[in-house]
Amino acid sequence: MANADLETPEFIERLRAGDRAAFALVVKHYHPRLLGAARTLLQPADAEEAVQDGWIAAHRALPKFEGRSALLTWLTRIVINQARMQLRKRGREIQFDPTEEDATDALAHRFNANGHWQQPPRAWTLSGPDALLTRDELQRCLETHIHAMPDNQRLALQLRDIQGLDFDAICNILDVSASNVRVLLHRARARLFEMVDRFQETGEC
Amino acid sequence: MLKCQHVEQRADALVDGEKLPLGERLALRTHLMICRHCRRYLRQLYALVSKLRGADQALPEDEAEKIVTRTLEDRGR
Repeated sequence: MANADLETPEFIERLRAGDRAAFALVVKHYHPRLLGAARTLLQPADAEEAVQDGWIAAHRALPKFEGRSALLTWLTRIVINQARMQLRKRGREIQFDPTEEDATDALAHRFNANGHWQQPPRAWTLSGPDALLTRDELQRCLETHIHAMPDNQRLALQLRDIQGLDFDAICNILDVSASNVRVLLHRARARLFEMVDRFQETGEC
Repeated sequence: MLKCQHVEQRADALVDGEKLPLGERLALRTHLMICRHCRRYLRQLYALVSKLRGADQALPEDEAEKIVTRTLEDRGR
């Protein structure tokens, strides 16, 4: 079953009516994505718990789901809220206002005062057997850098670039403006670009 | 004439396929025609973002079933 089939009005109606087999299909196809979202904020075991709590909350609320957003968007919002609740209990709060974080554009230092490149991007090896982006060490290095990002940047990157959600869905999930999501996403991508560029030059993470 | 740093900041909109105002689209296109550094930046940013995209995965049936059972048990409490 394709994910698109889980979003049809007929399928949603089955879910709302308490059809167990329909619910099992949603779990089967959406659980890995929800876990991926939760793991951007929590340790693996806590993320599992947040998603399980999310399923319980979603199952309870399903009869009232009106389909104003996609099912996946609605579920992701529930899981992210569970994850944020867990964080809050430990005194951590995620800020989505980019002015509140001290990070700047990781590429800013590569421009001169006139706004032109003083350290232009290096040419990446994008094809052939040694293609940079297909190398395992680079993959591991990307994962390390994604893990080290501020929570809000990592979450924006996860929802947009890793999961491919559109901006409307992300704004709905996080309750933030599209412009804030764009700033966070830009900072996250700039960090990774800078990292890959350095890797191309030095071969080191 | 746009500055390279402006292009670097707006390259995301191009990668995301955002609909830009005509004036901005033309300004970006003109800059990219004459600036090889920004062309390279945009091409490599596209490649990086495409690389990040994860494949859609599904849970094995038995694992999904365990989660469904746990969910329904909790509701039964």
